[in-house]
Amino acid sequence: MLEEALDHLVRGIVDHPDDVSVDLRERRNGRVLEVRVHPDDLGKVIGRAGRTAKALRSVMTALGGRGVRVDLVD
Amino acid sequence: MTSPDSPIDTEVETTPDAGDPAPPSAAVIEDGADAAAEAGTGDGVGLLEREGDIAADYLEVLLDIADLDGDIDIDVEADRAAVSIIGDGLDRLIGPGGVTLDALQELTRLAVYRETGVRSRLMLDVGGHRARRREELARIGKDAAARVVDSGEPERLAPMTPFERKVVHDAVADIDGVITESEGEEPERRIVIRPA
Repeated sequence: MLEEALDHLVRGIVDHPDDVSVDLRERRNGRVLEVRVHPDDLGKVIGRAGRTAKALRSVMTALGGRGVRVDLVD
Repeated sequence: MTSPDSPIDTEVETTPDAGDPAPPSAAVIEDGADAAAEAGTGDGVGLLEREGDIAADYLEVLLDIADLDGDIDIDVEADRAAVSIIGDGLDRLIGPGGVTLDALQELTRLAVYRETGVRSRLMLDVGGHRARRREELARIGKDAAARVVDSGEPERLAPMTPFERKVVHDAVADIDGVITESEGEEPERRIVIRPA
């Protein structure tokens, strides 16, 4: 559910939705959602002063609990 | 306080008997009048309705994925699209102090912007959170104004977001004997209520 939710949230805000992928990795210290986007969309997903990335993290924490991390992979 | 002439007001008044479709938003124009003047509306309601539709689609799919029950209500309030997710058990989407709601609003605005190419000032509410907060802020403003009228001493309120300050300015605007100002820099900017 978490990766699907994040995938949807990111796809909706980028110019290249088909290039979005999200992988959920289970780590000893919790779950990590790895987000990959088109290089041209990286700035969009980070946002001014990291605002968009922060918003994505905030919503994913709300849905998945404190142990969920979001990593933007470039 | 500041209530600049709204271009929408005059439009409405020039059609007294011409079929009069009576847009429901006309009644609430004063609520956002100075924000409307700032943003220079005029794009009409069409764009705002479209913003609401795009936002609803974006949020509906999210609710679906997260298996959350909520109905989505779309409205145009004065000069912006207003989208509400209505239902119980949505506290997760509000978060402490509304942080999750603000995050979701930010993402929804970006999703709208991607489709329309126009920066959106859409307001999102979840479970009536903003509506409750608005009432609370109006009460805070009115109570403080009453104290200022009594004491003759200015009073500083806690720091607030621009939207929260606007709610307070509006709530205090028609109370005689006080004026409101904002001072300080974001995010510490706050309202000062002074004797008029």
